[in-house]
Amino acid sequence: MSEPILRVENLHKHFGGLKAVNGVSFQVAPGEILGILGPNGAGKTVCFNMISGVYKPTAGKIVFDGQRTDGLPPHRLAALGLGRTFQIVKPFASLTVLENVLVARGIANYGRFGRIWGPWRSKDQVRAAMEVLDKVGLADLAGRKAGLLPLGNLRRLEIARALVVGRKLILLDESFSGLRHAEITRLEDLIRAIRQMGITVLLIEHNLRVSMKLCDRIVVLEHGRKIAEGKPEQIQSDLRVIEAYLGRKRRNNAAGG
Amino acid sequence: MSGYLITIATIIVINAIVVCGLNVIVGYAGQISLGHAAFFGIGAYSAALLATKAGLSFWAALPLVVTISSVVGLLLGLPSLRVKDDFLAITTIGINFIVEAVFLYIPFFGGALGIGGIPRICLFGLRLKGFSFFLLCLAFLVLVMTACWWFTRCWAGLACFALREDEEAAASVGISPVRFKLLAFVAGTAMAGLGGALYAHYMRFISASDFSFPVSITLLSMLVLGGMGKLWAPLLGAVILGALPEIFRPLVEYRILFYTAILLLMIRFQPSGLLGDESLARKVLAKVVPGGGR
Repeated sequence: MSEPILRVENLHKHFGGLKAVNGVSFQVAPGEILGILGPNGAGKTVCFNMISGVYKPTAGKIVFDGQRTDGLPPHRLAALGLGRTFQIVKPFASLTVLENVLVARGIANYGRFGRIWGPWRSKDQVRAAMEVLDKVGLADLAGRKAGLLPLGNLRRLEIARALVVGRKLILLDESFSGLRHAEITRLEDLIRAIRQMGITVLLIEHNLRVSMKLCDRIVVLEHGRKIAEGKPEQIQSDLRVIEAYLGRKRRNNAAGG
Repeated sequence: MSGYLITIATIIVINAIVVCGLNVIVGYAGQISLGHAAFFGIGAYSAALLATKAGLSFWAALPLVVTISSVVGLLLGLPSLRVKDDFLAITTIGINFIVEAVFLYIPFFGGALGIGGIPRICLFGLRLKGFSFFLLCLAFLVLVMTACWWFTRCWAGLACFALREDEEAAASVGISPVRFKLLAFVAGTAMAGLGGALYAHYMRFISASDFSFPVSITLLSMLVLGGMGKLWAPLLGAVILGALPEIFRPLVEYRILFYTAILLLMIRFQPSGLLGDESLARKVLAKVVPGGGR
């Protein structure tokens, strides 16, 4: 494995007595799609929020692109090239779809006081933003208010923003939840296309079938601990994973077996 | 123009400058402020003190006044921007009462007697009063509105819009919430300070009650009426709420009731204000003038 783009070591997050994440370690290699899987309350989103800077880990180490990043705030991580989406979509509702992407394009300017005074509606910026919208299939809706879009398109809009910011890695937080079947298929195609661009993806997924199809490798969490890691085929046949999802087989219930 | 009309017009323009500052904080960055009169007052008091006690001219004092207002804005903004929404509203009300009390009870600020004897502004050897002072205020309004217009078109403004819409999402695309909220707060309070300086040199006598909490409500009413986040809203709101009480002079006792009613009616029927995107005024305008709805 080449130098990982993201390395998480022995990560802990405790909320009072609740150990939401309890000693999780994994690595993401450049160019791969790594899925984090697990039943509800397994600690996936908490893990994600620590990686993207929303939570500060109780203990442990996060190394992103060769730099310790645990405890850095979200906007600093974004500046380092980490883009993310949200499980509950967060569009800039009263701005247009195009403006939503332009906000993300400002990533190159927000950090320097001298550069925040430049105009954002320039031709170059709009063209670059339209290219991104084209990639996610929202170019037709560029002038529409983001707050008026249906969920599937909002998920694409968040992916567009994440693509602009996430030069090195993008985190997708349950992008498939709440979508209809046809939308799921189209979103799968989009994520495959993103992989084709050579962008590294870390995704949280609840839906087993989707993640089996998309991911190169999968890490399974349960009760804040990693219970399995490997290729989708390996995960599918892992007994502990099956138990976590379907429950333990009741051995004494012979009549039913 | 008669002196009466000029007086009303001058006050309207000064109010519009102050409301422009409020628009940056509330309309652009989405940080509710119910204490904007405090910063209006800080500008007025620092201009008055620099003129009467330090003997500085308006022009020499102006950079200091704007700096003082924005530095105080920064200091008061730092703790208050750590709270959100309703809590921010309450905090800014508190700031308004504290600042008013400081003006009222500390002898240095003139106490209950206020500060009088503030000199007129001189420009090119001319002492500005009446119409010429109105023109000066108008020139400052143009300056402030140009600054606001530019703010909506630069990255800093876009970052503030994003913060207004969703703070967490804004942070995820590299916008530091604290930094850009403070920027909006500093810019907004600087404009309030400028308005205050003009007010002090126009009235030539100021007292703490000129900058009390009801004034903050009036300023916010102007903004809400015009349409939060719209460039022309402060001027439109200041004109309407500045002119109506004069037209309905006999009802002056009921002014606050009237403002409250306007605020409630706007929130119920036209939450985005007269200039808002979906507003009635725009729909009518779009029908009368083709393309006028833009």
